[in-house]
Amino acid sequence: MSLAWVVMQKDLRLAWRNRTAWLSAGAFATISVLIYSFAFDLATRDVRPLLPGVLWTTFLFAGVFAAGQSFQHEADEGTFDAVLLSPASPTAIFFGKAASNLIALLVIECSQLVLATILFNTALISAELLAIVFVGTVGYVSLTTLLSIMGSRVRSRAVLLPVLSMPLLIPLLIGAVRATGASLGIEAGTAPWMLLLAVFALWSTLISALLFPIAVER
Amino acid sequence: MSALAVRLLNLRWTVLPPATGIAMMAMIVGALVAAPREIIEGEVQRLMYIHVPSAIATYGAFFITFVASIMVLWKRDMRWDALARGSAQVGVLFTALVLLSGAIWGRPIWGVYWTWDARLTTTLILFLIYSAYLLARAISDSTDEQAARYAAVIGIVGFLDVPLIQMSVRWWRTLHPQPIIFTTKPALPGEMLIVLLIGFVAVFLLAAWLISLSTEAERLHQRLAGVRAGVDRHEGA
Repeated sequence: MSLAWVVMQKDLRLAWRNRTAWLSAGAFATISVLIYSFAFDLATRDVRPLLPGVLWTTFLFAGVFAAGQSFQHEADEGTFDAVLLSPASPTAIFFGKAASNLIALLVIECSQLVLATILFNTALISAELLAIVFVGTVGYVSLTTLLSIMGSRVRSRAVLLPVLSMPLLIPLLIGAVRATGASLGIEAGTAPWMLLLAVFALWSTLISALLFPIAVER
Repeated sequence: MSALAVRLLNLRWTVLPPATGIAMMAMIVGALVAAPREIIEGEVQRLMYIHVPSAIATYGAFFITFVASIMVLWKRDMRWDALARGSAQVGVLFTALVLLSGAIWGRPIWGVYWTWDARLTTTLILFLIYSAYLLARAISDSTDEQAARYAAVIGIVGFLDVPLIQMSVRWWRTLHPQPIIFTTKPALPGEMLIVLLIGFVAVFLLAAWLISLSTEAERLHQRLAGVRAGVDRHEGA
């Protein structure tokens, strides 16, 4: 576990030194929220029914875009073998990577929530909503981190990763949008959306932690 | 593998083609001629004899991809990668067939080609997942073992995602008729049931035959790439 901590610190340090990659993910998220507000004219009418969908499509696309870079550094520098040879187990590498991705994405998502609060004049910073965002992000980050190792191997990864991960993430998207809607007081049905979100997060973390070491073993 | 198993497996080249042909003919005659006309839905209901078996065959093909993907990670044998790919190709083909025949059937009965019903949506998502799997595998070398292992990860995650997709989509939407043959008292009349069973046999044989062919094609691709690499090495030396 302490090794996972070390890997996470290493990746966060690299993310900080290499700010442009993460800044571009944040800029991408900001632009997409703005584009949505122009496209759907979100300033004039009651925007609340549209907000959950706008927020989560933004989060997912920014998240997949950002996760695609998580093994970029290793792939460019050819240091992935060195990381694998280090005393850190592949499981620790996975958790370290996923945790650093999670932290960076939560920062981006919180800034988007603040932006959307201002732009759409709707209170979005509540404990319930932050909990939904946290559980939802855990759910997609572990899966996109797992799939991003594909990116270190093949060409045209920028297109491949969204095409691969989005269909797998549809249960999470449905759960997150409905749970967010419920917390904003929008009719969302009676299904236990938060439970679905939690089950997905648990499922994706377990399966990714299990498959990552087997997939990268040489 | 034991010699007997190999001999039994090799029988597929001689047994499957004629068996598939005969069963398909029987299904076509049964569905178009022998089966009675459905009172409410009319002639279009005859699509059932290919629609329902294809839907089940889809799950079968993706299950084979799932098992073969586990074997890729476990045994590290590229033959399993060929089976996983070949089976996924057939699965995607049958998913497309199910979506298409469903749309043709849905238009006169429901009034729309497409609706976001739970079953339809799940089938569409499966189509997307395995198309992405094939895409990911196709843009890397067929002999690249690391790429095969990464693709196997998608083959496994994709199949294990199915229950979650079904649960979430069912909560999200639910028009498609519930299955009526696996209940204790079948609601389907006897003649229709017999034709449907022939349809199951025909479609499953066809799927098995197509999987055999596509897997063999992948094996040949791998061997060809291996030979090419050998020639390159030889010329380089």
